[in-house]
Amino acid sequence: MIGHDHGGPAGYGQPGASTGSTYVPPPAPSPFPQPAPQPSAKPRTSLAVALEQSRYRLMVTAAVVTTVFTAISVKLAMATLLAGGGEPRQHVALEVGDTTTNRADITDRNGNLLATSLVTQSLYADPKLVSRPEEAAQKLVGALPDLDYKDVLGKLSGDRRFVWLKRNLTPKQQAAVHRLGIPGVAFEREERRFYPAGPLTSHIVGFTGIDNNGLAGMEQGFNKRLTEEPGTPLQLSIDLRLQHVLKKELAATVQEFSAIGAAGIVFDVRNGEVLSMVSLPDFDPQDPTGLVPDTLFNRATLGVYEMGSTFKIFNSALAFDTGKIRVSDMFDAAHPVKIGRFTINDYHNLHRALTVAEVFQHSSNLGSVRMVQQVGVAAQKAFMTKMGFTKPTGLELPESGWPLVPNPWREVNSYTISFGHGISVSPMHTVAAAASVINGGLFHKPTLLKRQPDGEIPTEQVVSRQTSDMMRRMFRFVVTEGTGKSAEVKGYVVGGKTGTADKQKGKHYQKNSRMSSFLGAFPMNDPRYIVYVLVDEPQATKKTYGYATGGWVAAPAVGRIVKQIGPLLNVPMVDENTPEILNSTYLNAAGSTNWQQSLPPVTAPPPAKGSTVASFPTQTKPR
Amino acid sequence: MKGKTWLFWGGLIAAAGGVLFQTSYDVQDLEEKLAGLNRKIILEQESIQVLKAEWSYLNDPTKLEQMAQAYLTLQPTEPRQYMAMDMIPMRPADAVPPPAQALPGKAMPGAPLPPMVRAPGTGNSQLAAARVPAAPNNNAAAGIVPVSAPVGLAKPLPMEKALERAPVVVPASLPSGAALADPSRANRIKPAALVPGSARVPTEKSATPAAPAAAGKLAPNAPTARPTELASRPIPAPAPKVAAAAPAAQQPYQPKPTDSLGLLVARLGANR
Repeated sequence: MIGHDHGGPAGYGQPGASTGSTYVPPPAPSPFPQPAPQPSAKPRTSLAVALEQSRYRLMVTAAVVTTVFTAISVKLAMATLLAGGGEPRQHVALEVGDTTTNRADITDRNGNLLATSLVTQSLYADPKLVSRPEEAAQKLVGALPDLDYKDVLGKLSGDRRFVWLKRNLTPKQQAAVHRLGIPGVAFEREERRFYPAGPLTSHIVGFTGIDNNGLAGMEQGFNKRLTEEPGTPLQLSIDLRLQHVLKKELAATVQEFSAIGAAGIVFDVRNGEVLSMVSLPDFDPQDPTGLVPDTLFNRATLGVYEMGSTFKIFNSALAFDTGKIRVSDMFDAAHPVKIGRFTINDYHNLHRALTVAEVFQHSSNLGSVRMVQQVGVAAQKAFMTKMGFTKPTGLELPESGWPLVPNPWREVNSYTISFGHGISVSPMHTVAAAASVINGGLFHKPTLLKRQPDGEIPTEQVVSRQTSDMMRRMFRFVVTEGTGKSAEVKGYVVGGKTGTADKQKGKHYQKNSRMSSFLGAFPMNDPRYIVYVLVDEPQATKKTYGYATGGWVAAPAVGRIVKQIGPLLNVPMVDENTPEILNSTYLNAAGSTNWQQSLPPVTAPPPAKGSTVASFPTQTKPR
Repeated sequence: MKGKTWLFWGGLIAAAGGVLFQTSYDVQDLEEKLAGLNRKIILEQESIQVLKAEWSYLNDPTKLEQMAQAYLTLQPTEPRQYMAMDMIPMRPADAVPPPAQALPGKAMPGAPLPPMVRAPGTGNSQLAAARVPAAPNNNAAAGIVPVSAPVGLAKPLPMEKALERAPVVVPASLPSGAALADPSRANRIKPAALVPGSARVPTEKSATPAAPAAAGKLAPNAPTARPTELASRPIPAPAPKVAAAAPAAQQPYQPKPTDSLGLLVARLGANR
């Protein structure tokens, strides 16, 4: 025990360890005060080293422990205080406005649904998990009879991990498949676009594809808005009731005159809202594919047509607005106008000079040409541009047609444009421009969205108030004594202008295929609504004595429509013969607006009904 | 002392732990409940959506018009049937008409029916009475109920009774025989049955205060009720489809509760 080491955990020596031969006094517990053990002390060297070591160890241990605990507490603080309490998943109560669907509804102006999303279940399979494809396929076909056994078997025994078996199951079908309990076959929640109004609004609302992205109509035009704000429905300016009335009457007209199509618009002249828009033939938005592609064509906005005599509205407004022509001015309508190789003539030549009112009343091409001769080409071009005939209407539909405008705009073009040929615009163009002519001269961009009651309506003054006032009288004059008599509805002071245009096939105009239209407005003492009807290729019937012109085809339809929608639109009935109404609507053939003096009508033999065909200049020599 | 302190802190910790546990479980419960409620809300929302869609689908004006033509004796409204509130004169204080009392099968004098109704008791009362002499007093009640016109009843029936007897939606298809069982057919008005106003009983006209100048031209601004014009207006033939479908539909259509979804589903159509 010689080499006994005094260091170690036991401390300073052993109190009674006197096993050694020499006595060494115990160092530490000495009764008398001793100076602090000196590290340099020779006999204590090993002890001092040990002490040093253990101190280092303690420090290292403390540092490690401190670091670890600091890290833990920091993480703890972060997890508890900063990371939202560390809850695995927070449940939040649903908001009232929340919807379960990913695409907003589309409603009409009264809140009737036009398009909505319904949740359905779709059936898919994971072929890897289907153990016996034959049996599974047999069962599935038993439950869903419209599936094809071979097709299903092929899908189930394939190599893929995911195959659609049938999309948008009905709840009953879902239950039937569920009851089969086939492993590897499951359901997926999907949405299906549903159009309660069906074909009634098909051209406006449009339709979506299988993955619910809009492919036509408002569904396409507002695709982003519909998916971004699924909670708030998109409210259109359309009124479903008017839509029904319009479609019904158009369909009746198409049937009566064996036409190939028709378009109709009801337009609010005060704010530019399109209250109703129909294009026939239409389609079922539920199943737009697999049909005649012609049905998808929107004649009211996408189709551009030569409008025929309805353009005399703008010719007359232009004439008045320049200030050069007054309503009583006379224009020669007896002699055909020759320009280049064209000769312009009237359908029914009256062989005399006509006032502006009579030109409008009888829809005289010659008179219109003489008027535009006086006004000039540049003024006409500027006016037509102001009326919006040189660019799309700005309607929200993606189906907006570009007008076909002559370029360059020469004299002969100005002549033909004066009676509505040589320029092709969509019915929506015509209606929006005509609205500005009669509503006091304010052009409103047509819209399919409902205007907010307090919202600002962008307007532009395009014709003067006086011009507009005179145009109202002209409109009314056409219905009281002109070509549009059959559009009259007692009490609603209807006014309007007929139009008949020969259709162009290739390079030539066809004599027997035409577009007959009527642009009606009511009540003319204070116009509020325009009703426009365009019939594509109507065939004359016995009842119309062989005429298929605007006055015979479209005007009666407008009359019937006005009769039905007037009460729906809250238009009060008035007596046409009261002084107040006559004061604001009277015009006679001589161009006088004084109804008291001229109670017996002045001149003008009774107009032949249907004399509205704007005959296009015939070529004098063949090419 | 030391032991007591330990006991205190220990107890506190234990209590806090207990409360925490309890709270934690409570929260879990509540969360489960909330999740369940949310699920239910979503389910309800989806059903509401379906119902809304169905409501709109059934309210399709085209369909409504067809059904109205088939099953109702109402006509499309005409502009002249609307008038402004201020056109209606105030009632003189002393000219309060006596309460409705009329003979069976005869219109009440002094209360002309609203003109949109093909007057059940007036126009064809002779006709109806001739056809159903057995139950004359039922005619007036059975004709048209939805209109609030004071159709004269011999003795006032309680509401349920009257509704029972009034076949509002029965599409003229009941096995006929008893006139009482088939009053709707008796009252289905052919256009020819509408008697022009000039051919009516004179007392009726004179007692009609609402049409002061029925003979001459009306006051232009007063589109008053003129039931006589009904005869001159072309009336659409009362739904030949219904007559054809009559034998098939022996009992009135009772929509099954599951029909709504089926209908919608039918509308959704086949797979694209």
